[in-house]
Amino acid sequence: MEPLELGRDILARARALGAEEATVVVSRGTEVSLTRRAGKLEQATQASSLSASLSLLVDERYSSHSTSDLRPAALDAFLARAVAATRVLEPEAERRQPPAELCGRFTPESVLDRFDPSWETLTAEARRDHAERLEAAVDALPDRGRILSATVYLGDSIGESARVMSNGFEGLGRGTGYGHGVEMTLSDTDGRRPEGFSYFSAAHLSDLPSVESTVAEGWKRAEQRLGSGPAPSGRYPMLLQNHAVGRILGVLGGPLSGSELHQGRSFLAGKLGTRIASPKLSIFDDPTIPRGLGSRGWDGDGLYAKPFPVLRDGVLETYYINVYYGRKLGMAPTTGGRSNWVVPAGTRSVDAITRDLDRCIVVTGFLGGNSNGLTGDFSFGVQGLLLERGEVVGHLSEMNVSGNIGDVLGQFTEAADDTWAWSSLRSPSLLFDGVQFSGT
Amino acid sequence: MSPVIHFDQFGVSAEAIRAVLTAALGRGADDADLYFEHAESTSVALSDGKVNRASTHVDLGAGVRVVVGDQVGYAYTEDLSRDAMVQAARLAAEIAAGTGSRQPVAATPAKYADRYPVALPWEEVALEKRVAMVRDWEKRVFAKDARIKKVEVSLADSFRHVLVVRPDGRMVYDYQPMTRAFISTTAQDDAGRRETASSNLAQRMGLEFYSDERVERLIQKAVNDTVVLFEATKAPAGEMTVVLGAGSSGILLHEAIGHGLEADFNRKGVSIYADRLNTAIAPKGVTIVDDGTLPWARGTINVDDEGNAAEKTVLIEDGVLRSYLHDEISARHYGVSPTGSGRRESFRHPVLPRMRATYMEAGGYAPEEIIASVQNGIYCSSFSNGQVQIGAGDFAFYVRHGYLIENGKLTRPIKDVNLVGNGPKVLETIEMVGNDLVIDEGGWTCGKDGQSVPVSQGMPTVKVSRLSVGGAN
Repeated sequence: MEPLELGRDILARARALGAEEATVVVSRGTEVSLTRRAGKLEQATQASSLSASLSLLVDERYSSHSTSDLRPAALDAFLARAVAATRVLEPEAERRQPPAELCGRFTPESVLDRFDPSWETLTAEARRDHAERLEAAVDALPDRGRILSATVYLGDSIGESARVMSNGFEGLGRGTGYGHGVEMTLSDTDGRRPEGFSYFSAAHLSDLPSVESTVAEGWKRAEQRLGSGPAPSGRYPMLLQNHAVGRILGVLGGPLSGSELHQGRSFLAGKLGTRIASPKLSIFDDPTIPRGLGSRGWDGDGLYAKPFPVLRDGVLETYYINVYYGRKLGMAPTTGGRSNWVVPAGTRSVDAITRDLDRCIVVTGFLGGNSNGLTGDFSFGVQGLLLERGEVVGHLSEMNVSGNIGDVLGQFTEAADDTWAWSSLRSPSLLFDGVQFSGT
Repeated sequence: MSPVIHFDQFGVSAEAIRAVLTAALGRGADDADLYFEHAESTSVALSDGKVNRASTHVDLGAGVRVVVGDQVGYAYTEDLSRDAMVQAARLAAEIAAGTGSRQPVAATPAKYADRYPVALPWEEVALEKRVAMVRDWEKRVFAKDARIKKVEVSLADSFRHVLVVRPDGRMVYDYQPMTRAFISTTAQDDAGRRETASSNLAQRMGLEFYSDERVERLIQKAVNDTVVLFEATKAPAGEMTVVLGAGSSGILLHEAIGHGLEADFNRKGVSIYADRLNTAIAPKGVTIVDDGTLPWARGTINVDDEGNAAEKTVLIEDGVLRSYLHDEISARHYGVSPTGSGRRESFRHPVLPRMRATYMEAGGYAPEEIIASVQNGIYCSSFSNGQVQIGAGDFAFYVRHGYLIENGKLTRPIKDVNLVGNGPKVLETIEMVGNDLVIDEGGWTCGKDGQSVPVSQGMPTVKVSRLSVGGAN
C-alpha cells in the first residue's frame, strides 16, 4: 500500500474503534551508507523502512503511538489497545486538532525542491566510486603521512511522509538527502591523537561541496587541534565559526517553546516584543527555502508553514507555540518547532573582522556542556584558536565558555559574510564581545 | 528443526532462517548474523495536575550482518516474511565479492544466566495502575515543599525480545525489560525566583522496582535538587581540585576512559589509549571495570547483540590497562575472546563495542576524609550529560549542581557548570578513592555513531587534583 493510502486506512480503523479524532503519519524511506578506511570498504548499510505513527483523541483524552508491525491483524490489535489505553486518561480539550482551514500546504513541493530525481538512477557503482574519490582526495593531501587514520563517509536517502488527519487534511511530502564527509586522526607530539571531522549535507547531490574541499575542511579542522591547550581564563571577543553557531543559538530553543513557557521554565517568558539581543542581531524562521534542510510544507500540527521573524533587530517577535500550548497559554499558535533558521550575513570576511581585533578566540567546535532554560545560563566546553590581529597564535582545548545567553546576545557585534548552507541553521560566523572563557 | 523462540508467532520459521543465512553467506563471507527484535514500550505522563498523555510503541524487524574480515555489510527489514529477509541478506552480502556455498548449521538455543528476572512484568500491569502511581507521586512531591509550583511526572516501561542466530548453529534469545520514572519540578520562592530540576530512576525490572523506599528517594531527590538551587551561585572558573560524589559521577569514567577503551577505536588507532595495553595509565589503587552482569542494572545484558554472554571486564587493574571492550571483530583483531560488549540500538543498526555498567572499585578513604583534604575546590553531586573526543582524549561533563569546598568543608551550592579535562591526564591525577562505591540507578543513555543504548555508571567518592571548571570569576 502507498503511504497515503495506508494512512487513510489506519485513520478509518481508528475512527471505527471509537477515536473522535486521529492524526496518522506514515513514513517510508530507503537509506544507503558507505564508509571506507585504509583503502577498502569498511561498512555498507542499506535498508528500506515503513512505519506509522498516530495520535488519538478518544472521549477528549489524548495519546500517541507508533508501530513498524503493519500486518493488518497486528495493526487492528495495536489500534484496539491504543484506543483502550486512551480511555484511562484524564480529558483535555486543548488536544483537539486545529480547524481544517489552518491546515495545508503553504509552499508547493515544486518550490521546496526537496527531491533530487537523480536519486532514482544512482547506482551502487556510482556510490562506491564517490566513496573512493573521497578517499583518494585524502591520499592526495600533501601531509598524508601525518594522518594516523582517515575514514570517509557517504550516505543518501529518500523519504516520503504522508499525513492524514480526521479534520480532512491530507498531505504527502517527499525528499532526498545526501551527505559526505571525512574524519581524520593525526599524531601529536605528546601522544595525543586529535581528530577533525567535516560532514556536509544537502537535499540534492549537486549541492554537496567537492570531495577535495570536503577533505580539505576535515584536514584543516584536524590540523587546528595539534599542540592544543588552554589559554588563561578571562573575557575575550568570541568569533563563533559559522558551522558551530547552533550550540549557542540553540540555547534559545527550549525557552522559546510553548511547553517551557507554559511550565514556567523559560527565561523568555513575558519578553515578547522586547529587546533581548543586540539590535544588530536578527533570526528568521523560513520553511520555504528551496532545498533547505529544514524546509517543509506544513508543521507538526498540519499548520501552514510560513516564514516569520524570531528576532528582528534584537527584538523577540515570535515564540514557538503549537496548537495545544496555544490553547493552554491563551495565545495564537505559530508553529511547534523550528524549520530553517536564517541569520543575515554581514559584509566583511572573518579575516577582515579578526584583523581588527588585538586578540580574540575563534570557537571552532564544542565539547559537552548544557544550559538552563529558566535562567539562560550556559556552560560549554570549547575548542578553537587564539588569534592576535588575525594571526593564529595558539590552538585551544580544555577550555569552557560560559555566561548568560541574554548577556551574550546583547554583546553581538558583527556577522561575517560566510553563510553556512549545509544545515537547517543558515548562519555566518558571528562575533560577540567580552565573553567569559575559562582555561588555566 | 529446532523451534524459533518468540518469533514463530510472527511467522518466522527455521527454514526461513536457514534460507536467510545461506543468502548472507552466498558471496563468500567469513561470518554473518541474523538479529530479530520485537520491542514494545508504554508510557503515561502527568502535567498540569492531569494524567493527560499516554503513548505506546511497537517495533518489529530483523537485521542481517555479513562480515568479511573487518568489513561489514548490513541491511534490515521490518517485514519478517521469508522473501523480505532473504532480500535484506542479499543486500548485506554485497560487501563480499566472491561466491560461497557454506551452509549454516541448524540452530539450537543456547543457555545463559538471567540477571534480570522480573517478578511483576509490565505486560500484566494495567494502565490504570500506572496512572494511579503517577498521580500518587505528584501528590507526594507537592507535599514535600510549599515552594514547588509545577510538577511533571512520567512512567515508562518497555520490553525487548531479541533473537540472534549464527551460521555456526548458535541461537541466543533474550528478554530485556526496562522501566524508567521521571519527575520534573519547578519551584518559586517568596521573592518570586524560580528554579527547576528533574530526577529519574531506571532499571531492568517490573513493577516491583517501585518499592516505597525507592519512590520516596526519587521524590525527595527531585525536590531537593530543585530547592537547593535557590541557594546556589555560579561556579568559579579555571583549573581546580574536584571531588566527585559517589554514584552518578561515574559519568567521568564513561567519558574519560570508557569510550576510549572501546576496541574499535583502538583497532583503528584513533583512540588516545591505542597501544597502551599493559601499561600503567592510572595510580595504583585505581581499578575500573565495565560490567554487564550487575543484577537488574540498566546497563546489564545477559548476552550481547552478537550472542556472546556478558561479563565483568576489568579495564584498569590497580592502575594498569588490562583490556579493551570487544565485539567479535575487534576480538579477532587482537586475538582475544570477545568481552560481550557488542551492542546495537535496534535491528536497524550494526553491532559496535559499547559500555554496559562502568564503575571504579572502592578504595580505602572515608568520603569525609576526602572532602576534608581539600582547601579550595568544588564537589560535584548531580550530572546531566557528557562528551569525549576519542583521539585527543579531551572530555567534558555537565554538573547540574554541587558545592564549593572551602577549608575542607562543603559550603555554598553551585549550579550549571561544565567541566573539561583530558582522559589520561585526569587518570594520573586521581588522588584519593573513597570506600563508598555506589552504582547509580539513573536512566543513563550512551550515544555512539548515532546509536543509543542504555548504560549504568558508578563511582566511590573520588578526588581529582585538576579539572577545568567552566564558571565565572
